Amino acid sequence: MRSRKTRHATVALTLGAVGALVLSACGGGGSSFGGATKSQAAGPAKLTIMIGSSGDAETNAVKAAADAWAKKSGNTAEVIVASDLGQQLGQGFAGGTPPDLFYADASRIGDFAKAGNLFAYGDQVQGENFLPTLVKTFTYDGKLQCAPKDYSTLALVINTAMWTAAGLTDADIPKDWAGLESAAKKLTKGKVTGLVIGNDINRGGAFMKQAGGWVVSDDGKTMTADSPENLAGLQEIQKMMKAGSLKFNTDTSPAAGWGGEAFGKGIGAMTIEGNWIKGALTKDYPNIKAKIVELPAGPAGKGTLMFSNCWGIAAKSAHQAQAVDLVKFLTSVDQQLAFTKAFGPMPSTEAGIAKFKTDYPDDAAFAAGGDYGQGPVNLPGFDPVMAAFNSKLATLGKGGDPKAMLAELQKNGTAAIAAG
Amino acid sequence: MTAATVRSNDVGNNGKAPETGAHRSRNPSAKRIAGYVVLVIFAIIYLYPFLIQIASSLKSDPQATAHPLSLIPNPFDLGAWKRMFGLTSDTSVPIMTWLGNSVLVTVTVTACRVFFDSLAGYALSRLHFKGRGVMFAALLAVMSVPGVVLLVPKFLIVTYLGIFDTYTAMILPLIIDAAGIFIMKQFFDSVSVSIEEAARMDGASVFRTFWSVILPMARPALITLTILAFQGSWNEFSHFLVVTQSPEHRTMITGLASLTSGELGSGTQYPLKMGAALLTTIPVALLFFTFQRYFVRGANEGAEKG
Amino acid sequence: MAKRKSNLRGREGIAGWVFTAPMIVILGVFLFVPVVMALWVSMTNWRGNVDPFGGGPNAAFVGAKNYTALFLQDGLARSNFMQSLGNTFFYVLFVVPLQTATSLLLALIVNDRFLRGKSFFRTAFYFPSVTSSIAISTVFLFLFSNTGAVNGFLKILGIDGPQWFSDSRGLFHLFLGLFGADNPGWAQGEIFGRSLWDWLSGPSVAMCVIIILAVWTTTGTFMLMFLAALQDLPVEVDEAAMLDGVSPWQKLRLVTIPMLKPALFLVTTLGLIGTWQVFDQIYVMGKGAPAGTTMTPAFLSYTTSFRSNGWGSGAAMAFVVFLIIVLLTWWQRHIMRDDKTPGRLRRAFGAANLMRSHRGTGKTP
Repeated sequence: MRSRKTRHATVALTLGAVGALVLSACGGGGSSFGGATKSQAAGPAKLTIMIGSSGDAETNAVKAAADAWAKKSGNTAEVIVASDLGQQLGQGFAGGTPPDLFYADASRIGDFAKAGNLFAYGDQVQGENFLPTLVKTFTYDGKLQCAPKDYSTLALVINTAMWTAAGLTDADIPKDWAGLESAAKKLTKGKVTGLVIGNDINRGGAFMKQAGGWVVSDDGKTMTADSPENLAGLQEIQKMMKAGSLKFNTDTSPAAGWGGEAFGKGIGAMTIEGNWIKGALTKDYPNIKAKIVELPAGPAGKGTLMFSNCWGIAAKSAHQAQAVDLVKFLTSVDQQLAFTKAFGPMPSTEAGIAKFKTDYPDDAAFAAGGDYGQGPVNLPGFDPVMAAFNSKLATLGKGGDPKAMLAELQKNGTAAIAAG
Repeated sequence: MTAATVRSNDVGNNGKAPETGAHRSRNPSAKRIAGYVVLVIFAIIYLYPFLIQIASSLKSDPQATAHPLSLIPNPFDLGAWKRMFGLTSDTSVPIMTWLGNSVLVTVTVTACRVFFDSLAGYALSRLHFKGRGVMFAALLAVMSVPGVVLLVPKFLIVTYLGIFDTYTAMILPLIIDAAGIFIMKQFFDSVSVSIEEAARMDGASVFRTFWSVILPMARPALITLTILAFQGSWNEFSHFLVVTQSPEHRTMITGLASLTSGELGSGTQYPLKMGAALLTTIPVALLFFTFQRYFVRGANEGAEKG
Repeated sequence: MAKRKSNLRGREGIAGWVFTAPMIVILGVFLFVPVVMALWVSMTNWRGNVDPFGGGPNAAFVGAKNYTALFLQDGLARSNFMQSLGNTFFYVLFVVPLQTATSLLLALIVNDRFLRGKSFFRTAFYFPSVTSSIAISTVFLFLFSNTGAVNGFLKILGIDGPQWFSDSRGLFHLFLGLFGADNPGWAQGEIFGRSLWDWLSGPSVAMCVIIILAVWTTTGTFMLMFLAALQDLPVEVDEAAMLDGVSPWQKLRLVTIPMLKPALFLVTTLGLIGTWQVFDQIYVMGKGAPAGTTMTPAFLSYTTSFRSNGWGSGAAMAFVVFLIIVLLTWWQRHIMRDDKTPGRLRRAFGAANLMRSHRGTGKTP
């Protein structure tokens, strides 16, 4: 039998250890909320870059660029592909460990800037001459928050084999809605649907724009969702759905993950997609020959949507200076054209886009969209509003009521702007 | 705690199990035949998804879409499996990382749970100390908090402690679970006190009594606890979803979820998803078929807490 | 002896605390404290950037505003939350009775003394409960896809299967539509900002897949519980009923089921608690799509917090769900309280007695 003293000592020791554990955990364990920016240590910096990739082509291209810069500058840059960029960025911001550099979608700029997550370095990259429409998209509170990295527009992608098999020629390339309807009808046969598009505003919105409407006013201060023009745009989609010549990618048999997949698998003869479809076609569906033309004009003229990400730098990043340097490297004309070559988006600088137009005449349709394209809504607090609208829009083919959808969007958007 | 293992109904078990048929004869009545038919139909409904899972993982992409019902892959295509184990040039799905993480977490959590839960269960059952009643009541209260309510709280505490996105955050919160303590306490309540008292009279310390005398007697309960802990931590999802984010920390389950919710960029690569799901299921399935008895007991004991 | 006893007690005291110390630390730090933290956050407007406990404009105390926004304030938070509540009501309405009835049915059949292959059937039915919900959901995604096994099977029967995961039409709406009702005037009244017509929509087609999944997964566990309860039933009552030539259906209704009340209570309670916690399946099968008809409050809490950075609102939702589950469990217990165990046997004999007196034999037990 151990002596009382020894037993007491053991017990005391155990309790002490447990107590110490508790104290160390609660106390200076390093709460990661808020906290000042850690000062950068001397020596090579390790940067993390978080991207939302459209596929292997993009991932590899970004990795190659990061490595090239790393070699040049003596730092390291690790590329992380997010499976859910929005959620992972949110977690990173809240958790205090955001990536140094990340894709920031135009629609989230307001949210990020308002919450103070971005380091607005726009003044440091003025010399790059970004396209004015893009600068506008990424300006919040009067400051350019981040450097636009590229942009894409939507165009009409046509399966040339099915086109000629249906007896259509270049003269039949749709220039307006009537032309689109008849072409899609001719291309719908058997299991193939004439036009298969994505089921949210990032595709359907093109129709709204062509009819002359959009979700918010040009200055972003009022909601214009329930305008008759928007209704006309959505009704056009519904009209073609009723005729059987247009389907959302989730409604086809088999369902496709996105419009490009439906196109590549021959489920749809045409689709409306952006520059990224070129990379996907080359890699996943090399046997499909596609022709890219501008979207047909609607009652109010031509309309397309523009998508862009910028290189966001985290306000909490410890390597902001190096990150800005990396951004300058990534937005140089050569690097941007390398990205273009790998997965298709167009350069965001004037110099870059000029060179693009000469190098890629086939993509003239995409480039032309830059002149009349509409960027996404970038006001803070709109993420749930657009998500709710998108989820309703997806039911358009199943008896959804476009008037009600737009009314709800109007209501929610107005509330969000007011909360703004 | 009723010794509630489901007894296999062989003849002559003292007539404890009432008959459902009106006749006492062994000739199959119409009722019994109807019963068989219903059971077989249900058995097909219950087993078919697993068979289809196996079959689809061995089909090629277009075949899985074109012939979803067939259980015979034709042609037989190992593409999905090769891709999972990194044997093709496609972006390999990092199954090995996921598997390694799952194994690490599961083994650690299971071992810890068995040890700490039985310690605490024993103390709550057998040791008299001030505050025991309050502690037990608090335990019951904690058990009643539904898991989904804890998602935001867990994220908050993990971030506050600075362990977000680390293995510590994955393992530490799970090493003790209230249900396991409850099960062990229930078991120890049923052990007769005299054995302990005898050991204590002989001068053994509390811990020694526990370790060398009581614990060996608790083997069935310990096995049940091990199995429940293994199954629970292997299949755990929402906890890992909330406390980690980087790809290196993914387990089989969180990895499979990211695969299915679109990380591959697009599409409907069903054989790959079916194969990954199958791989996730296999360890627990093996455990299940070996230790069925204990699973069943665990189900009934887990119900007691309700 | 006395000195030894007090020694023992003393040692036990310390040992008791040491043994339970890990439990106190872990459960305290990772369950209790976080819940308190979340309660605080639910009363702030924190959006995830600064320290939530540090005050300031980005973490300001707003009292019960997040909670009232869910119920009283017209806006997206309320409409999403009310829709998720509606979805869950229907989910519970379908899942709990279905899973209880199916598991009871299977247990009754399997309980037959002369049934062969008992353990095979038990294994087959219980196995789904053991596997990961993520893995099962993945398989069901495949089975119910537009060209999946289920639609293939329906095609054999000559039915054109729906597009399960993109169909957001509610079952009740479809049923009422057969009678020509479509957003009629009498259903325009609003409850918490949502029209009566919307509240009556029933589960959507996509939600039905999740319902089927839930029933499929949980039936095995509940079947085992019923089996255990059935095997514990005393055979004398049964034999007594049998002697009087009571028909099997009557026996089921008047004797077996009343005696199974504790098990029924347990199964329905577990079912109620379980259905409000469905999460993993939603994550894999669409995250609330189509049109928010598979959204549940628990998942909405997750998306609001982790995706939209509305931590205050998300935390508030989680606590509301907690409250709902607690209230439901209390109500459930209250309803079934007088059928708890002690009087069970007495009542069973009473029932058998009653049947005998019906036939007028006048025999006493």
